[in-house]
Amino acid sequence: MLLALPWAAGWFRRDAHRPAAYLNIVLTLLAFVHGSLVLRDVMAFGPATLHFPWLTVADLQLDLSFSLSLTNVVALELITGLSLVSQFYSLGYLDKEWALARFFALLGFFEGAMSGVVLSDTLFQSYFLLEMLTLSTYLLVGFWYAQPLVITAARDAFLTKRVGDVLLLMGVVALAAFAGVMGFDDLYAWAATDSLSPLATTLIGLGLIAGPMGKCAQFPMHLWLDEAMEGPNPASILRNSVVVTCGAIVLLKVMPLLQHAPVTLVVLQVVGAISAIGGSLVSIAQVDIKRTLSYSTTAYLGLVFIAIALQVPVLALLLLFSHAVSKALLSMSVGGVIAATNCQDITELGGLGGRMPATTSAFLVGSAGLVGLLPLGGFLCLAQSVELIGGRSAGLVVVFLLTNALTALNLTRVFRHLFLGQPLLKTRRAVEVNWQMAFPMVALSVIVILTPVLLIRLESLDGLLAFPLWAAALVVGSGVVGMVAGTLVPLSKAWSRSINPWLRWFQDLLAYDFYTERFYRITIVNVVAGFSQLASAFDRVVVDGLLHGMARFSLQSAEGLKLSISGRSQTYVLTVVAAILLFLTSLSWLLR
Amino acid sequence: MMLLTLLLLIPFLGSLLITLLPGDRSSDFYRRVCVVVLSVQCLASVGLLVPFDASEAGLQLVETFAWLPSIGLDYALAVDGLSMPLVLMNGVLCLVSALASRQVENRPRIYFALLLVISGAVNGAFLAQNLLLFFIFYELELIPLWMLIAVWGGGNRAYASTKFLIVTAVSGMLILGAFLGMALLTGSVDFGLNPIVPGALPMATQLVLMGALLIGFGIKIPLFPFHTWLPDAHTEASTPVSVLLAGVLLKLGTYGLLRFCLGLFPEAWHLAAPWLAGWAAVSVLYGSLAAIAQTDMKRMVAYSSVGHMGYVLLAAAAATPLGLIGALFQMVSHGLISAILFLVVGVVYERTGTRDLTVLRGLLNPQRGLPLSGTLMIIGVMASAGIPGMAGFISEFLIFRGSLQAFPLATLLSMVGSGLTAVYFLLLVNRAFFGRLAIASGADPNPKVLLPVPLGQQMPAILLSLSILVLGLAPHLLVGLSEAATTGLSQIAVTQFSGGLS
Repeated sequence: MLLALPWAAGWFRRDAHRPAAYLNIVLTLLAFVHGSLVLRDVMAFGPATLHFPWLTVADLQLDLSFSLSLTNVVALELITGLSLVSQFYSLGYLDKEWALARFFALLGFFEGAMSGVVLSDTLFQSYFLLEMLTLSTYLLVGFWYAQPLVITAARDAFLTKRVGDVLLLMGVVALAAFAGVMGFDDLYAWAATDSLSPLATTLIGLGLIAGPMGKCAQFPMHLWLDEAMEGPNPASILRNSVVVTCGAIVLLKVMPLLQHAPVTLVVLQVVGAISAIGGSLVSIAQVDIKRTLSYSTTAYLGLVFIAIALQVPVLALLLLFSHAVSKALLSMSVGGVIAATNCQDITELGGLGGRMPATTSAFLVGSAGLVGLLPLGGFLCLAQSVELIGGRSAGLVVVFLLTNALTALNLTRVFRHLFLGQPLLKTRRAVEVNWQMAFPMVALSVIVILTPVLLIRLESLDGLLAFPLWAAALVVGSGVVGMVAGTLVPLSKAWSRSINPWLRWFQDLLAYDFYTERFYRITIVNVVAGFSQLASAFDRVVVDGLLHGMARFSLQSAEGLKLSISGRSQTYVLTVVAAILLFLTSLSWLLR
Repeated sequence: MMLLTLLLLIPFLGSLLITLLPGDRSSDFYRRVCVVVLSVQCLASVGLLVPFDASEAGLQLVETFAWLPSIGLDYALAVDGLSMPLVLMNGVLCLVSALASRQVENRPRIYFALLLVISGAVNGAFLAQNLLLFFIFYELELIPLWMLIAVWGGGNRAYASTKFLIVTAVSGMLILGAFLGMALLTGSVDFGLNPIVPGALPMATQLVLMGALLIGFGIKIPLFPFHTWLPDAHTEASTPVSVLLAGVLLKLGTYGLLRFCLGLFPEAWHLAAPWLAGWAAVSVLYGSLAAIAQTDMKRMVAYSSVGHMGYVLLAAAAATPLGLIGALFQMVSHGLISAILFLVVGVVYERTGTRDLTVLRGLLNPQRGLPLSGTLMIIGVMASAGIPGMAGFISEFLIFRGSLQAFPLATLLSMVGSGLTAVYFLLLVNRAFFGRLAIASGADPNPKVLLPVPLGQQMPAILLSLSILVLGLAPHLLVGLSEAATTGLSQIAVTQFSGGLS
């Protein structure tokens, strides 16, 4: 019932424009309200599970099962809430888009899949819905399918996630085969008593983390999120905030299984650390506003991965929540800038601060919520993590602080580029966005400011504020360092590329994302393409060649034999008899 | 009740009717007659579900009649959970193919008569419970199909049809040889479908006989390296013939694989299973990789068939109950999915005059392109790539889950093949349907504007997509039909080699 609401929105495919959009918004609102009621019930009466049998065949039993635990329902609220806001936003953003109905249908499908993922209680179902998410991401990114860049972006988004999904499928199938159960609780119980070889366990574990890695845009599968920014902005809001959350939540659900495969935990930490630092470094070198945000998503999800690898689920959830709302707000603000100026290059923008007050304040609030500086969501999470992570692995605290500093630097830099300075050619006539976009921005700003309150309601006050002063000091310190660096770094519109060759090399390395794309093209893409050419050539030359050779041989030998016939019937009879004899003897010998 | 015979009589009599109707009628008239006959046949197949008991593993509705007892040819028909879904699919897809045969101006009378003959012969092959009878039907379907390609095909049809005829005739000879060899060596000439009991024949003999059958059906399925006839045949065949070929005729091969190779030689099968699984993995990967390199949409879809039929061999090699039901599911879903794909490719070809992926662009354009076809293509492609919610995913999951424990490596490699499916089909959609519409081939006066396709013409593909979604979301509809039979088949495979409990 709960799920049916967002799903139903998918019905309206190509009807009239506005009604479909309104219907979708109303349905999402319903889902949100319904979700809040459920949340209240869950908080009052404890978690519940909904269970439906789906397919039972031979020794395989697949069920649909939804777990209404506190975490899941909160995540559901997050998704429906943000989806509601961004749908409202897209009414304004896609004001003159003719295919609005299609967009909303896809968005409804998207939202339904995400709601399903967070509520899902079986691994099979999670996989099922994650794949649907892959499909809907593909369609959403490819929404403006007439543009060449969009096409490659959609392709890469689908294929990258698909790689992760196929690996995840391997893990799922292996678990289904060995454990025989698919419910998460059953799997935990099974994992505690399993008798698989360490190698098998490790392989399964790696398969299980590969899916979330693709979804959360972690290194080395992070490229798609950046390219996916070619899609419509309202979808980018969701992608950067809640889709990645979905991936991380699936990872959280398989976390107890991963404990039995220590290698995977190390892999998670390494991947998380690389993504966090690499992502924040790369984001600093970007000049496209949407890209500056997408790489910082990769970075924050890297932190979440580290938290999960260290088995601190609470921290991961806090990080996810505060990141999701802040990043959604930042994306909205950036979308507002794009809508007002039709430009995404920060070197061509400037001086928007006075002209677009709502957008500016949304950017400020979103940044403050993300970075650990002011006592908002980001600060609380990071301070918590310094304390919790510090107890487990001191080295990773540095990663957290560095990410914080670099993110602060990046956001300050982007802020200066966009909103301060002299108005440039493209920003001179910019006006504030229309109310459909401004209203959700303001609403979400309020939510971001209230994040600490919300977090405290979910978590107990003591638990959340139980970090020592030095942790807070470290976080604030790193934030200040980042901000000061961001303020002091010289910004020149015309000379955004450095003249110093070393610096320039470094800048290019980061701007092109460590040349990951080129690396892919050289390795994986070339290998697959090469093999496919090989197979195709093999087909034409060897297989068909053999066939043609045989055909030619029989034709030619017939031509030749034609000349050798004598015309005497005795010879024919003799040949036939000899052939039959030969055949029968060979047969009897063969089948003796 | 002669229900099964009815399934043969309807198409054969219909064919006779079309041939003998006096007067020279239009193509449309014959098409309508053909559609009516096939609808009746389709209804009769569905009607078969009423007396059919899905919980019964064995043969049902048996009809036997000693036809030529001296050579062991019995007219024996029966249906079980293995053949039931395939008979249904045959009914549906033949109807679809007749509906899609719109532009047959060249000798329509013979065309539709042949279509009906194929439909009847395929029904016969799925229902036959006598080896010789099966062989007769198996060969009977060959000649009409050859003619459909050779007479109503594309430019290079002579080459493709000859290749098809010769290669498939070899397949028939191998199968007949194996059947005769079995009769000769076991000394019984009843040609019934009785599994070879362990010890009845020396293992080497069994392997030789089974090998002959395997290659025979492997050509039909087709498996690497016997597959090259298929892309050529598909490229030259018209759309409805391609639908038939991919949807129904390939299933004769996989059906034979399950029914005759696995069903008759359980002992030898078990021995050969690891090699077969390896063969399956090679076939899957090879088909998928070769598909990536294709630029002709039809060839790409044809190579995808090579890859996807490899899954069936994989599941058959493992012979677990789950794997076999997955194999059956895969046959049905592949039939439906490839029918959609070929229908859409047919529409694209008809409207634009090309299937070349280096030329086509932006067909999804809502005003001037083929938006509905594009949507259907995306559905078909995603189903083929195994996206959950559609039939392809269920079959792949069942097959992989059923085979993983027996053959981990081969299964994992096949999964990679399933990932590659996404690669080439995504390339297809991206190239042909996304982008800007700018095609200028064919003789259309204004090639920038494609005529919209009437909804009625798209109806078959729409209904097929719906059925794919239904099967993907409610798989128990099909699974329930066949589970008893496949489990029974898997038990034959298991009990026989372990010394025989019977």
